[in-house]
Amino acid sequence: MKRTYLGEFEEVVLLTVAVLHESAYGVAITDELDRQTGRSVSISAVHAALHRLEEKGMLKSQMGEATAERGGRRKRLFTVTALGSRALHDIRSMRNQLWDSISPNALPAISI
Amino acid sequence: MNSTSLGNGQPPRWADWLLEWFCAPHLLEEVQGDLYERFVRDLQTEGIRRANRRYWTNVLRFIRPFALKRKVNDYSPTPLFSPAMLQNYIKIAFRNLTRNKAYSTINIIGLSIGLAAAMLIMLYTKDEVSYDRFHAHHQALYRITSKSLTPNGAVDYLQPYTGIFPGPKFHEGVPEIMTFVRYREDTKDMRQGTEVKSQLIHFADSSFFSIFSFPLLTGNPKTALQNPKSVVVSEEVAEKNFGTINALGKTLFFKDDDKFEPYIVTGVAKKCPQNSSIKFDILMPMVIKDEDMANNENWFSVFMNTFVILSPDANLKMVEAKMNQVYVADAQESIKSVAKKLGITGRTVYSLQPFTDMHLSKELPASNGLVDESNPTFSYILSGIALFILLIACINFINLTVARSLKRAKEIGVRKVVGGARTQLIIQFLGESFILCFAAFLFSFMLLELALPTFNQLANKALSLSYLFDIKLVAGYILLFMVTSLLSGFYPALILSSYSPVQTLYSRVKLSGKNYLQKSLVVLQFALASFLIIASLTIYSQFDYLTSKDLGYNDKNLVIVDKANLKRSEANLLKEELVKNQNIVDVAPKNGGRWGTTAKINGETQVNFDYETVNEVYLPLLKIPILKGRNFSTVFPSDSSQSVLVNEAFVKKAGWKQPIGQVVDFWFRNKKYAVVGVVKDHHFESLSQEIKPQLFTMKLGNDYGKVLIKIKPNTETASLHFIEKTFKKLFPISPYSYAFMDQENLKRYESEAKWKQMMLFGAILTIFISCIGLFGLATLSAERRTKEIGIRKVLGASVATIVQLLSTDFLKLVSLSFILAFPAAWYAMQQWLNNYPYRIGINAWMFIATAIIAISIAFLTVSWQSLRAAMTDPVKSLKTE
Repeated sequence: MKRTYLGEFEEVVLLTVAVLHESAYGVAITDELDRQTGRSVSISAVHAALHRLEEKGMLKSQMGEATAERGGRRKRLFTVTALGSRALHDIRSMRNQLWDSISPNALPAISI
Repeated sequence: MNSTSLGNGQPPRWADWLLEWFCAPHLLEEVQGDLYERFVRDLQTEGIRRANRRYWTNVLRFIRPFALKRKVNDYSPTPLFSPAMLQNYIKIAFRNLTRNKAYSTINIIGLSIGLAAAMLIMLYTKDEVSYDRFHAHHQALYRITSKSLTPNGAVDYLQPYTGIFPGPKFHEGVPEIMTFVRYREDTKDMRQGTEVKSQLIHFADSSFFSIFSFPLLTGNPKTALQNPKSVVVSEEVAEKNFGTINALGKTLFFKDDDKFEPYIVTGVAKKCPQNSSIKFDILMPMVIKDEDMANNENWFSVFMNTFVILSPDANLKMVEAKMNQVYVADAQESIKSVAKKLGITGRTVYSLQPFTDMHLSKELPASNGLVDESNPTFSYILSGIALFILLIACINFINLTVARSLKRAKEIGVRKVVGGARTQLIIQFLGESFILCFAAFLFSFMLLELALPTFNQLANKALSLSYLFDIKLVAGYILLFMVTSLLSGFYPALILSSYSPVQTLYSRVKLSGKNYLQKSLVVLQFALASFLIIASLTIYSQFDYLTSKDLGYNDKNLVIVDKANLKRSEANLLKEELVKNQNIVDVAPKNGGRWGTTAKINGETQVNFDYETVNEVYLPLLKIPILKGRNFSTVFPSDSSQSVLVNEAFVKKAGWKQPIGQVVDFWFRNKKYAVVGVVKDHHFESLSQEIKPQLFTMKLGNDYGKVLIKIKPNTETASLHFIEKTFKKLFPISPYSYAFMDQENLKRYESEAKWKQMMLFGAILTIFISCIGLFGLATLSAERRTKEIGIRKVLGASVATIVQLLSTDFLKLVSLSFILAFPAAWYAMQQWLNNYPYRIGINAWMFIATAIIAISIAFLTVSWQSLRAAMTDPVKSLKTE
């Protein structure tokens, strides 16, 4: 099956964009990532990932409103494209398929 | 994109600038916005320091490829050097230059004069430093020099001369000295048909042509100077005497001991290069008598140059040490005997001077048969003036271009609006300055060609444009051209390209500030010009002083006729014949050349003095007063063997209270003379020297060499004719030549005369270029204020008021320049005048005159334009626009 490769970080960022729906921009994504995954990532890393995802056609963007705390600068708001959505779904179904194929005793038990 | 207020705090400015600088423009807004947002939050939760630090980290983390990459534009800009744009630049440049003819002419004239001056000086300097470097062995070539040390070891004086011994004896005793040549000048009488003339000749050892690279056109360089009766002539002399340069084996007649002897031409040499310290027309073998070689006291007789070639591995210090060992060992006896006679314990130390250092050496100049010795200060001052002129021309260019740029503001605006980048504009304006400079560069070659003959005359050179075909010099000129273009074009280009398009298109551009740069440049220009005016005035006054000062004797209507080895009887006969003519007042013979020696006074004091062999007529003829005692007289026959006269300086040096009757003891003859009279000090040397001790003798053994003939005023032609006729009748085989004493005296100030010419040229050029600059600025300022002038006139201002209005600004600047120029000029001129024991004082009138000259020239320049502006019908100026 021919598919587009998504790096792990790219995947998380893409998912976060989907989570934030219509209000996804650099800082918000960084914060959301921090909140949801506990990963403290730099803004530049997020920007780089967003930039790359846009180049790959999985994200599209438009300039949003400006706010005072941004010194009058506008946000770039990202939305997931159909291609992005497709990629996420592909990954998910692939993972599900893999999970389903694991025999019950194959994974060592995790004590909680 | 200036940061707007973020409320409580501002992110670190430097970090922000860094981000703005490296971040891709299309990403900057969002990135910066995100960072600000984060900063504001950090500020609230973490405090200012942490927030700042985090901001920095975040910015630095953005240094990664995606943020640095520039997004490809939707429309690719026209490349900087696309043929179409280049064509456009050139077209615009030419249109601009031809539309503003006055502006272009002023700039081209100014720049070409500046460039020509700079090129001239480069030519001059190149020639100066290239002296004597054409000899194949120039690096191994040295001249033997010596210094006299006082008993306590201090240097008494240096002398570049040697005698007959150092050459052969050092060659023999010092293995590093491979070969030597002695060289000196003399005059010999030469016969051409029935004419006899005194000819300057040079004597040299036979090694001459193997040491120096003077090519022979014909003849064998090894043997040309071996036969004592051989002669090598230059191609010019050959051409003149034989009509051909194939003169090998032909004969020239020179006088030896009262009769003319044939000398065989054994070589014809190419003309000596212009940059050679050795220039000969006629070269003869150096003949040294055996008895001279046997007389060891000849170590102390110095009168010529000796050059040596050292072996490549020679150590200079060691060679010098060995030379002195040889000297001390060889001259031991003579040193002792002289020390005994004189009672002095000073000594002589020999050293070596690199051959190529001679030309510009101040201490050991190229003299005594060597020519063109040069003072390096002259090069510095010339270079200084040339730099001044070039600088002023560049200043004009900058000022005019910037001032005129207002007119081009619209063009700049349009170019920017349609997408011209700043670099493009800078390159365009620089290109225009290059075109202008190139035109000036071409003109400057023409100017150079025109100026060279005059300059050669002033600088005593034979420079020509053909000298330009030298890689270094051509490179220098190209560099000069580039530097000038950049220097004059860069600043205006920067200013012009910085105009904001919005403002220019609404014609709201004004030169920012009060335009201090332009003003200070005008001040600088006039300061330089005033400096040179003061310098010229001082040099003129000093020259005038030197040439018109009372010398202490009367040099008017005095004809000097040279006659070597004139015997007493011949002198008397000549006088008898001459005074038969009523135009001739009196005749006084004296020695030829200049003689000096040392005497012991009162058994201890040593006096160095010049002495003259004269007779009783000499002092009255020159109207030199006798202060004490009496003149020589025929009444006292003993005068001719036992009496001397001395001047005041002599008396002072000897420390006599009562000079009459004192005894002078010539150390070398051990003969005593009594002083019978004291002569008033007179300037027998140039006024750049203090009056030295002088002594007059009638001693019979000394030959005369000159005859001074006083003639009646306004009888020059007849008298000279008669003198020549009489001379030729009495001395048919002696060369006849005459000179007027006052003219000879003037010749001593040739260097000052040249200086004053150079300074005058420099001053005139500087003023001229400054003025054309001022003229340009005044034109522009008048143009800019056309409307204002119109309104003022309508409201009733008079022409005078308007001229005053327009000129005052400039005149203020010119006056300001005096504050800079006057102290500098005062100091420099004081330094220069200190070289002269007899000098003028720097006077206030020079400064006042300079101020008047500068202000009136500036006023004339400016008022021309002001007047035109003021006279224009106001209706016209108000109607336009």
